[in-house]
Amino acid sequence: MKLSSIFAKSLFDQRRSFAGWSLGVGLLVIVMAAMWPSVRDMPGLDTFVQNYPAALRKLFNLETFRTGSGYLNTELFSLMVPALFLVFGIGHGARLLAGEEEDRTLDVLLSTRCSRRRVLLEKAAGLVVVVIGLGLVLTVVTLIMGLVLGMGMTVGEVVRGGLAMAALGIEFGLVALAVGAARGRRAVAIAVATALAIAGYVLYVLGQLIHAVEPWRGISPFVQALDRGPIRPSWSAGPAVMILCGVVALAISIPVFERRDIGS
Amino acid sequence: MVRTRGLTKRFGATLAVDRLDLDVAPGSVFGFLGPNGAGKTTTIRLLLGLQRPSEGTAEIFGLDCTRAREQIHRHVGYLPGDFAVYPHLTGAQYLAFLTALRGGVAPGAVEGLVDRFELDVTRHLGTLSRGNRQKVGLVQAFMHEPELLVLDEPTSGLDPLMQQRFRELVAAARDRGATVLLSSHVLGEVEEIADTVGILRAGRLVIVENLEQLKEHARRHVEITFAREVPTENLRRVVGVHELVVTGRTARLVVAGSMDELFRVAAPAGVENVVASEASLEEILLGYYSEPNR
Repeated sequence: MKLSSIFAKSLFDQRRSFAGWSLGVGLLVIVMAAMWPSVRDMPGLDTFVQNYPAALRKLFNLETFRTGSGYLNTELFSLMVPALFLVFGIGHGARLLAGEEEDRTLDVLLSTRCSRRRVLLEKAAGLVVVVIGLGLVLTVVTLIMGLVLGMGMTVGEVVRGGLAMAALGIEFGLVALAVGAARGRRAVAIAVATALAIAGYVLYVLGQLIHAVEPWRGISPFVQALDRGPIRPSWSAGPAVMILCGVVALAISIPVFERRDIGS
Repeated sequence: MVRTRGLTKRFGATLAVDRLDLDVAPGSVFGFLGPNGAGKTTTIRLLLGLQRPSEGTAEIFGLDCTRAREQIHRHVGYLPGDFAVYPHLTGAQYLAFLTALRGGVAPGAVEGLVDRFELDVTRHLGTLSRGNRQKVGLVQAFMHEPELLVLDEPTSGLDPLMQQRFRELVAAARDRGATVLLSSHVLGEVEEIADTVGILRAGRLVIVENLEQLKEHARRHVEITFAREVPTENLRRVVGVHELVVTGRTARLVVAGSMDELFRVAAPAGVENVVASEASLEEILLGYYSEPNR
């Protein structure tokens, strides 16, 4: 691969990690999907589900647990896969710029004719592309398993599920990149993005349980990504809102990064 | 070419650079000297626009180092102090990457520099020794034939042969009209190539002189072992001799400037052995401030 730009190099840098994550996400989907036929045929499943508290039934989309999409929404797309995409996005977002500044390789990069804005934007593009790539892997493996096991999901449903997960990774990855650009510390970038993600998840859960919190639920990225199941029959504005929030965070960080002292 | 006025940088309560007025003439080689921690690297980072001055101005090519950062960078080659590399890239990949980012690298320029430094670019940078990494840093700084080279401790880690190659490279750059600013914490590293030397101490530029003037003040530690008795009184009378200590047939002393007279006086007493070492920068600075005590 020719390293002809910062964008190209950021893809090159992430290639090994991307391969590993793709393998992990793919295997996870295969293993979990493979268990679906036995869950579907479980006698007394409906009674079992009905015994769960109503809030948990809603939180993990248990009402539709017997269907292929419902099962995957509950077992994978409500907690495990979102968490993986968050870790992937935040880890890469924090490493791309703050990591490079801590390693002191950023000095030479910023002594070329490339502006700081361009360095940041090309790295952001590299981040978005790999997260979308991981979303594609998730989508394709889910589609294949759905077909193989006859899970009865449409292509559109699965694509919407993959998109919601990728949007989550992009949003918090861009937040980590932005915080890293503004502060220059990888640990700070990871801490801030993770804290925001946890706050969003807490809001999502509390909104189900506490009536007074419910009006505020909508601002949680997890509501935008997970509400009524990521694998869903219709489009929602959720992913667009999430990506937009990430882009806004990045835009705010540009002037800060341009004015800041590097590596001090 | 490089011009700062009242350039000041504070980090919290620490004053790293203190009202610095620096002028580097076009086409000259400027040796930027100072003990470790004197503010050399901070000054260089201010010039590169990596950091912003707390007060004062820094200009390169008549352009402001912060506002016109990218415009200046097109014509600057920079080697950071403690040059860091991407360990997972090979030398060839790294140099190709920077060639793409920098632009303006003539065909064959990288290869020429790689040959000059006998560098193996097929190896991953993470596996290279410190000296070889430094060579990669020098190649990337010189490869686009910039008008201004800013080199922070360029010879650190290089063996004497490569230091010589480096000096040739600097001389060639000057011959084609480039300006070079290089920093060091030892005078010996720059005295062969610099036209002018500026000495920084505690963030202040305390001396700017051409090299000839500086050498007149340069102090050396000399240890002379005599075959016969030490001509103590004669040595004491030599201009520039300080701190004469005699033990047995060995005289230890510090001499400022030329050693010509010292040896003329010492030779008749039968010199058996001479060991001379360069004085540290702090001692040179001391030489500027203290009267000779004879």
